[in-house]
Amino acid sequence: MNLKETRTGAQALVDSLAKAGVEVLFGYPGGQALDIFNCLPDAKFRFVLGRHEQGCVHMADGYARATGKPGVCLVTSGPGATNTVTGLATANIDSVPLIVITGQVPMALIGTDAFQEADTTGVTRAVSKHNFLVQSADEIPEIVAQAFYIATHGKPGPVVIDIPKNCQQALTAAQYPERVSLRAYHPESSATTAQINRLAKMINAAERPVIYAGGGVVTSGAAKDVASLAHKAQIPVATTLMGLGGFDEHDPLSLRMAGMHGTPAANWAMNEADLIVALGVRFSDRVTGKISQYAPEARIAHVDCDPASIGKNVPVELGIVADVKDVLTTVGSRVKAAKHEKWLAKIDGWKKSHPVTWQAIHPNVIMPQAVMEAVDKATEGRAVVVTDVGQHQMWAAQHFRYSIPRHFLTSGGMGTMGFGIPAAIGAAFGRPDHKTVAICGDGGAQMTFEELVVAVEHKLPVTFVVINNGCLGMVRQWQELFYGKNYSGSILTVKGRPKNEHLDQDLDYDYLPDFVKMAEAHGAEAYRVIDPAKLDSTIRKAVRSNKTTLVEVIVEPRANVYPMIPAGRPVSAMVFK
Amino acid sequence: MQKEQLHRLNCYVENKPGVLARIVGLISGRGYNIQTLNVGPTEDGTVSRMKIDILGTGKVVEQIILQLRNQVNVIEVTSRRK
Ligand SMILES: Cc1ncc(C[n+]2csc(CCOP(=O)(O)OP(=O)(O)O)c2C)c(N)n1
Ligand SMILES: [Mg+2]
Repeated sequence: MNLKETRTGAQALVDSLAKAGVEVLFGYPGGQALDIFNCLPDAKFRFVLGRHEQGCVHMADGYARATGKPGVCLVTSGPGATNTVTGLATANIDSVPLIVITGQVPMALIGTDAFQEADTTGVTRAVSKHNFLVQSADEIPEIVAQAFYIATHGKPGPVVIDIPKNCQQALTAAQYPERVSLRAYHPESSATTAQINRLAKMINAAERPVIYAGGGVVTSGAAKDVASLAHKAQIPVATTLMGLGGFDEHDPLSLRMAGMHGTPAANWAMNEADLIVALGVRFSDRVTGKISQYAPEARIAHVDCDPASIGKNVPVELGIVADVKDVLTTVGSRVKAAKHEKWLAKIDGWKKSHPVTWQAIHPNVIMPQAVMEAVDKATEGRAVVVTDVGQHQMWAAQHFRYSIPRHFLTSGGMGTMGFGIPAAIGAAFGRPDHKTVAICGDGGAQMTFEELVVAVEHKLPVTFVVINNGCLGMVRQWQELFYGKNYSGSILTVKGRPKNEHLDQDLDYDYLPDFVKMAEAHGAEAYRVIDPAKLDSTIRKAVRSNKTTLVEVIVEPRANVYPMIPAGRPVSAMVFK
Repeated sequence: MQKEQLHRLNCYVENKPGVLARIVGLISGRGYNIQTLNVGPTEDGTVSRMKIDILGTGKVVEQIILQLRNQVNVIEVTSRRK
């Protein structure tokens, strides 16, 4: 072994990350990761210190969703590693490429209940695409290369690399491989000519076609190709929550979002379609509603990179396992120009009779939907919008008009509260060219508020909007509609709190925390809006500031998200108020 | 509703730590009970063969096979009804 070329496993890791093209590493230190942290000050990439490991993973996730590049995160063993579980599950179900590196106790101590020992590969197995337990320093460069390959090929996902401390300290001469070869994993697959011809034939034969575009369109960079197909054959396009931005919502062919809180036009069009061209979707129960009554008249063609998602929830006539963009570029020339005038006229009727709209409940109280419109206007529709989870998430999906891929980032599959603040910070690191706005609820904002300091420290001009309705609104809405208005566990104000919580009604505050003071304590510029007349100007001031800003908007607590198709029900069960 | 039947899955996997746990976890995590499990070496020492018997409808078993094939260390999966 040439001693000159040897380095510690920790140094080999850091060098390998640089070779893999890492620009930003999000992380939080601890005993079993100290050898790696020791190498970071000299690394070629930037380090961002989060304040909680869940926050670090969501930051890496936001960075990945905003840029399309894998996000990378480093934490210590035991509690550091277990704190990543929610972030991993969030990225895993939404197919986001991540590399999460965890320190581990030395190999000799594994299985002894050593201090801060957790079976990290065991714990993370079900919430990651793959994981590795490093057994020797020599493996590190190869495993890093494999992890990046796995995270970004086939259906993307998070990969965990667990590295025992003795492997970080041992010397190795192993080099980063030129190319990765995995014996068993060959996810690339493409459409056959016969499949392309059948797809073109189905499209050419359809009288009432709909394109149903999901997150796979955004991931594969196929937005332009979807638009060309839609325009050529005049096919209306509905997107999923994850597909927002995959088709311009200003386009006359846009049906906007489908599903539980989707537009009537999108849901009715799918319901009456004779063909659904499903691109990069997984037919989530949040879109299909009652599965046996989903799209009863439609032939279905489904293109997805994941063979396991084809025919999983809904039987399909044509399933193509391939990259969406590749399929669209080849099928395009075989699709005939069409007009579908009658079909589009019918859809236009629906759009006119049931527009995406809302009504004030009280003239002096801000409606949350108005906040979305104010932010969309102030950012001229060009912001990277990151949401938390709840009613505000659905209002953000409904009341912005999305036109750019990777400009709507949300925890779709897992619905993870606490995602918004850190994911917006990660997105802002990845996309300094665009304004990033986080839309959070008062509940979710409290889950990861500590990360706000990261935005302030790094002078990120992110605007965090807290939609304060004094309640866990989405839960409150379900209790109002389906649990006889029994608001158990969903009210955050003192007033209206159920008796079983034993709160003293004479407390001299009604609601904590004071988000403006909180934000100021974290170093951000903060505003509170209560008056509807001041909404636009305050939002404008905040988004135009070059500082980290937070706007707390006190909104109507009784506002609900409509339209709504209750879970497990067919389209005909849609309610409008 | 499809009828539940016994299926034999033959999985050829890379002989590495964690692979068995991953495969068993994928099946048990969905609430399916493994009736029989047999793991052994093949002539190629780097490949193991797993014989797994599970009770399920054809559709469920097909989904499990597709998910197994998506695993990074799984080389091949075949199945037959028993
Ligand atoms: C980590 C986590 N815990 C619980 C839930 C269940 N949940 C879904 S929405 C919601 C309420 C969110 O309240 P808030 O953040 O105030 O947003 P709002 O619905 O009021 O807009 C809850 C508790 C969740 N999605 N995530
Ligand atoms: Mg709320």
